[in-house]
Amino acid sequence: MIGVLITTHGNLGNELIKAAELIKGPLSDILHISVDQSRNVEDIKKEIGNAIKKLDKGKGVLVLTDLFGGTPSNISLSFMKEQKVEVVTGVNLPMLLKLSEVKESMTLREFACFIKEHGQKNIYVASELLSKKALG
Amino acid sequence: MAQDLNIELVRVDNRLVHGQILESWVPYVKAQCIIVVDDNIAGNVFDETVIRMAVPSEIDLIINTVEDFAHNYNFSHNKGKNTIVLFRSIRDVCKAYELGFHFDKLNIGNIHHEEFKVCCSPSVFLCDTEIEDIIRLLENDGVVVELKRVPRERAVNIREALKGYCNLSP
Repeated sequence: MIGVLITTHGNLGNELIKAAELIKGPLSDILHISVDQSRNVEDIKKEIGNAIKKLDKGKGVLVLTDLFGGTPSNISLSFMKEQKVEVVTGVNLPMLLKLSEVKESMTLREFACFIKEHGQKNIYVASELLSKKALG
Repeated sequence: MAQDLNIELVRVDNRLVHGQILESWVPYVKAQCIIVVDDNIAGNVFDETVIRMAVPSEIDLIINTVEDFAHNYNFSHNKGKNTIVLFRSIRDVCKAYELGFHFDKLNIGNIHHEEFKVCCSPSVFLCDTEIEDIIRLLENDGVVVELKRVPRERAVNIREALKGYCNLSP
């Protein structure tokens, strides 16, 4: 199983997990680390490093983070050196709901791409969708 | 080759380029250039790449050591690209000042010193030497020091914040 770590500004990630569990039931192999402004970057780095170690059961860890270029993302990217970590930014609820569908055969990279595509595909402008339906 | 840079913001932030910079300060000062001044990052391919990836391509990014930075640019106030200069520590910005990078105003965003003596705001924890450096900038060099994470936040008055630690003329 590929582990999943969510790193976000404030408590966003934790709330996303709560919302996903409300819909899907308990999620396994998932942790959240909150990055807030009262904390030292080195401490957060250590905490993220420990979480990655804990989550890695041999197939690596997918890090989902909120904003590309933000501190949670910047720190997460610094762990990509080890090849056992993949980072996907712009985390949203549809992505979290899809996590449990990871197939045993997927590599970390494939899993990351699968989650990214799912997250992107699930953003709609409702009126565009409606007009398409009406025309179709 | 010297380049004219219109310095809009000089900031100490131990997170260097991050969300507050890209989402708040860049649009606020209409930045066309970001300079990261840091001896550890300049020349480190991986760290430089992470920062380069984060900065939008229409904004110039320069990553320099403190010495190279202070010696290689012409700093002006109305000529050249609108520029944000980021330092990781008070020590580094003071070193640049001593080497000739002069500015009227210093913004402090995030500093978390392990052995801090004064907590000035939720994101600024200063140790003894940092406080000494800031006092020197304030008293000897007449620099305005402003504690502000994002542009639309009210600044913390540094003289007020250091009041319990030492006496500064208002």
